[in-house]
Amino acid sequence: MIILHAGFQEKHLLLWGETAPSEAETKTKPARASQKKSAKPAKLIYDLGDDGLLSALSELFSGIEIEKSEFEKVTVWLPTVDGQVLASNVLIAEPPESKSPPTLAPWTVTALPMATVEAIELLSLCVDKAMLSPGVIVGWDLAFWATAMRFAGAMTARQQFLPSVVKEDGAYHARWLPVFVGQDAERLQKLAQAMPHVCRAMSADSAIPPTIAAASLLSEFVGLIVDHLARVDREHQTKSKNSFNSLHDQWLNALRTMSSELTGKESELSQFAAQSRNWRRPIEITTSSPFRLSFRLEEPAESKQETAKSLSRAATASKNGWHVRYLLQAADDPSLLIDVADAWNAKAKKSKILQRPNFNAREYLLSSLGLAASINPQIEQSLKSSEPAGYELDATGAFDFLQEKAWLLEQSGFNVLLPAWWTRKGTKLRLSARANVKSPKLQGGGSLSLNEIIKFNYQIALGDEVLTLKELEELAKLKMPLVKIRGQWVQLSAEEIQTAIEFWKKKATGKASVRQLVHMSLGVGGATKSVKGIAFEGVNADGWIGDLLAQLDGRKAFKELQPTEKFSGTLRPYQTRGYSWLSFLSEIGFGACLADDMGLGKTVQTLALIQRDWQANDAKNRRPVLLVCPMSVMGNWQKEAARFTPNLPVMIHHGLTRAKGAAFRKEAARQALVISSYSLLHRDLGILEGVNWQGVILDEAQNIKNAETKQSKAARSLKSDYRIALTGTPVENNVGDLWSVMEFLNPGFLGTQAEFKRNFFLPIQTQRDEQATAQLKRLTSPFILRRLKTDKTIINDLPEKMEMKTFCNLTKEQASLYAAVAEDAGKSLEESEGIQRKGLVLATLMKLKQVCNHPAQFLGDNSAIPGRSGKLARLTEMLEEVLSANERALVFTQFTEMGDIIQRHLQETFGHEVLFLHGGVTKKNRDRMVERFQRNTAGSPQIFILSLKAGGTGLNLTAANHVFHFDRWWNPAVENQATDRAFRIGQQRNVQVHKFLCAGTLEEKIDEMIERKSEIASSIVGAGEGWLTELSTKELKSLFALRADAIGE
Amino acid sequence: MSWYSRRRKRSYYYDDYDDFDEDEDDEEEEEDDDDYGYGGYGYRYAYRRKITPVGGIKAQSKRGAFGETWWAKRWISTLESFHIGERLNRGKSYARGGQVLSIDIAKGEIKAKVQGSFAAPYKITIKLKELGAASWRKLTAALGRQAIFAAKLMAGEMPQEIEQIFKDNGLSLFPEKLRDLETNCSCPDWSNPCKHIAAVYFLLAEEFDRDPFLLFKLRGLEREELIAALGKTPGNTIETTAESAAEAELPPEPLAVEAANFWQGGTLPENILGEVRIPPVNAALLKRLGNFPFWRGEETFSEAMDSIYSKASTEGLKAL
Repeated sequence: MIILHAGFQEKHLLLWGETAPSEAETKTKPARASQKKSAKPAKLIYDLGDDGLLSALSELFSGIEIEKSEFEKVTVWLPTVDGQVLASNVLIAEPPESKSPPTLAPWTVTALPMATVEAIELLSLCVDKAMLSPGVIVGWDLAFWATAMRFAGAMTARQQFLPSVVKEDGAYHARWLPVFVGQDAERLQKLAQAMPHVCRAMSADSAIPPTIAAASLLSEFVGLIVDHLARVDREHQTKSKNSFNSLHDQWLNALRTMSSELTGKESELSQFAAQSRNWRRPIEITTSSPFRLSFRLEEPAESKQETAKSLSRAATASKNGWHVRYLLQAADDPSLLIDVADAWNAKAKKSKILQRPNFNAREYLLSSLGLAASINPQIEQSLKSSEPAGYELDATGAFDFLQEKAWLLEQSGFNVLLPAWWTRKGTKLRLSARANVKSPKLQGGGSLSLNEIIKFNYQIALGDEVLTLKELEELAKLKMPLVKIRGQWVQLSAEEIQTAIEFWKKKATGKASVRQLVHMSLGVGGATKSVKGIAFEGVNADGWIGDLLAQLDGRKAFKELQPTEKFSGTLRPYQTRGYSWLSFLSEIGFGACLADDMGLGKTVQTLALIQRDWQANDAKNRRPVLLVCPMSVMGNWQKEAARFTPNLPVMIHHGLTRAKGAAFRKEAARQALVISSYSLLHRDLGILEGVNWQGVILDEAQNIKNAETKQSKAARSLKSDYRIALTGTPVENNVGDLWSVMEFLNPGFLGTQAEFKRNFFLPIQTQRDEQATAQLKRLTSPFILRRLKTDKTIINDLPEKMEMKTFCNLTKEQASLYAAVAEDAGKSLEESEGIQRKGLVLATLMKLKQVCNHPAQFLGDNSAIPGRSGKLARLTEMLEEVLSANERALVFTQFTEMGDIIQRHLQETFGHEVLFLHGGVTKKNRDRMVERFQRNTAGSPQIFILSLKAGGTGLNLTAANHVFHFDRWWNPAVENQATDRAFRIGQQRNVQVHKFLCAGTLEEKIDEMIERKSEIASSIVGAGEGWLTELSTKELKSLFALRADAIGE
Repeated sequence: MSWYSRRRKRSYYYDDYDDFDEDEDDEEEEEDDDDYGYGGYGYRYAYRRKITPVGGIKAQSKRGAFGETWWAKRWISTLESFHIGERLNRGKSYARGGQVLSIDIAKGEIKAKVQGSFAAPYKITIKLKELGAASWRKLTAALGRQAIFAAKLMAGEMPQEIEQIFKDNGLSLFPEKLRDLETNCSCPDWSNPCKHIAAVYFLLAEEFDRDPFLLFKLRGLEREELIAALGKTPGNTIETTAESAAEAELPPEPLAVEAANFWQGGTLPENILGEVRIPPVNAALLKRLGNFPFWRGEETFSEAMDSIYSKASTEGLKAL
């Protein structure tokens, strides 16, 4: 486990790292912080070192070459207790037990100074990532620099930088300086406040800790990145200095290429530097100012006569009386606003606040107002007095200010304060058009057709109120762009009203198919953005179309269906709703995404739908459903189908022996359900495309979140009547991933990918645009159903404890090891008896269980972990969902070695600490682990592995609501006892118990045996697995044999 | 080359004898540095060509008139009022060709060096009559009555009404009369202003375009003095060196020792990157500053910068 860190010193990002020390190192007495001030600080015991850094980097950049001499020994000040340094993360080391408070002490670490271009490359990899590669964690400080780099990138993109001449270490350099003006200055401040202190903990001096201000270091760093990015001719050979005709030519070249240094006479260069400063001065007055000129639009004072009945009389309230006030806003405290009227006068009381070093309020105000005047003629007009502090304007002026001037001022770095009822796109309340549809009530038995053409007419409305022609004409007479109607400001354009009136008089009607009406009502892909210049708001419908629209956006419940008789199982109430919802959407041909929390039964709801479709059609019309899922859950689907829909023909399309071409088509045509995997989706697309599926279902649909991958494209190209996506991760929260899933479900709904990026992704992701967020939600929410275990309506439906079996597959390696062990045992069994036979059986059981767990456990060879165990892969996937839902889980195994493997793998995958309690843990440490796990706060460990023996009894671990039994102890009583660590008094939530089984192996077979004889199980099974030794050789052989469906590859 | 044009050129030599026949901006041919006879006169001229220096100040205006703003045009019109004929055009082509090596502006005085045909550049001085302290007091009082004057000046613009304010006080900002102005050039031309002085005049016009305060400076009032004269305001110190204001050191911040602040830092606010896009107007910030003073580069400053800014914008997007 490695954690990468970075400091910033002398224009270089210095990469260093922490790693857990090897055992040999920990045994020797740990280094102590040196007491003597003059001595070189002791080496940090967690220092990753040059080899460690090099190997971490070569994982990321293949073929990277770094000379040993490039590494430096650097002093870093770190929190230290009693001479022992504290690691940044418990994954490196537990904090020492000490009552003394930590202090800062200098330590020596090995750091790699990175060239700017390398730093950018590395930081780009760190964006939004907790782990760079398995076992390599991005430290918070490194992640911070990545954000700072992106900020510099954004500054460069919006061209907030100027060329300069700067003296550095006695030499003159051509530099691009970032210009932090307006909101960028605020952003810099906020970013600096969030900087982890370790970012600035490096010092050249080991006597006193560094105290450089975060904002200074950050602006230096941003400057470095901007300077690099703006050098647009980086690739160019640098010209010899002598070839320039003038200093200016040399400067231009030094600004473009990587060689920034300027040569020439000192006097000439220093004069040039001064000249360049003077030239930038008009802008630097603004950037160095501790205050920012702000403009606040103020509404006219409330008038008394608000109760008028007629719209127009209510609206005539005020034409004049708007005011734009000039204010100075403190950069370090945006809530501090000083009226400019006070700023002109040094004697005014409030003006004291303006006393800041190097700041002249008059100079700043004059130059800022001079700039603002060129943008806004009314500001210019106001400057004709000696101490301008604002100006009056009428409704038209106010509207113009809101619509245009405010934006222009903001673009020039001024702050603009607007009333809350104004949004970027206008007043919240607007004149709008809607389609009014009248349709008959649907007669029972009739079926809906989305292609039916429907006539409708348009209505004009203001908010929820439909306007009459007379009211519109009254409003037109006002001739005001902004009117206050019943206490709310509304923007009205004369043109808009006029078109509305004309539109009205022509008795505006339209025609559209039901599908188009659905699109119009949701606002799909700009189906109708405006009607003759009036914003289009939606569809107003009654009758069956009204019902349909209401059902889609959740205003009206859809018909609840009961699962068909042949479905063998019962659905919980919320599952019935989910199943009915799937039926409703699939019937009218819309794609649906069922995104219920893990454990709520997406599988059963889906199977109920497949069963219903199968029965609804007669034999001739039946067509198969294709289900695509990750390999790790194929076995589970097959098992669940066998359990809930035993009469449906199900086929697994997988493995080397799978049917191809015509054979596949023939075979598939007979099935209700064809199960295949994502990897085959692309590879076998040719034959999968050849089938006209009843439906296509993607399980774990986050697999197609990237629209460009082959499997996503393949999924979109399949022909079917309906499409369903199942996922346990909240897709709706990740805007970037949404497009691909929606494009699969309902092609074209969110526009092309480029349109989606422009209309939703960028506004939401970079500007937190609320309107775009709301619109996206409106578009997608009819097609996404997500219930959480914690929902009030769900929680009552759920038992407090849910036990589920999770069927996993073996990898090829596991299968061949398994077969070898079984064959071996089969031979020996014949030749042994008595105690020896008993021992052999138990040993074989043990070996087979180990193989099912992980080849590395069976081989005991400390070999690689990832990609070799079906169970571990499934556990990792499920825990990812647990972590993303911010929940906690217990993982039980009976093998300490397996616990070690799981712990190592999970920590390296997630970069979070994973606790492991086994027999070797002292009582004190055990109590500490339990205490930390139960603390249940952000940052406390979320996964707790326990060996069945050490953790099966006594502990109270109610912070967990998931229990995983990674391997089985064929004794329900023992397993239940373990489960009860979480499921006991104090547990506030429902507990999900996941029992892992490898399909087709002895694990499944023993499970079947116990299930079959459940009534006798408890007596026979007794303690442990002894009863298995009583089985006949024949029985044992069949128990050990590996069924064909075991392998997942 | 036609005989006629050759003739025409010669006819000018008398007012231009020191660097004969060197540059006519309406003539295209580059003259070789060899000597040549004129017809059958058997008359050979030891022809001297102006020395073309490298790295001189190059006018940013490539053709037509100099000075974009009214005040720069006013400045040029002063020069034009001296009726120096063809010297005016030669001055222009000197200004465009980079013959002017340096210009220094001080209160009331401009010093410049211009390369002619002699090895050593000519020395030029242009002196303006400074206004006295009493006059400035009257003027700043009048200017202070409306914030717009100072505000516009600082934003790089001179309101036309300023002229009226000078006039009302019986003064003038621009040199009006001959005694307002004293020009000198070390060239042998008897005409004053000569084309060298004219060249400096033209380049100054471009500087005034950028920074109208320079005209006040030539009349004896610095920018800081004007602001100070306008009134007492809070936070009175005006830094004369921009450097210290820009690089003001922030107070030291000691490192925290508790883990949350030390290792983890604070939570990042939303929308920390700001708007991410290529701006609709290229190099807007730079355009607010205008041309770099007395630009000597081979490339036009604004064109070179335009291309850098638009390329850098794309580079910036890549770093997101």
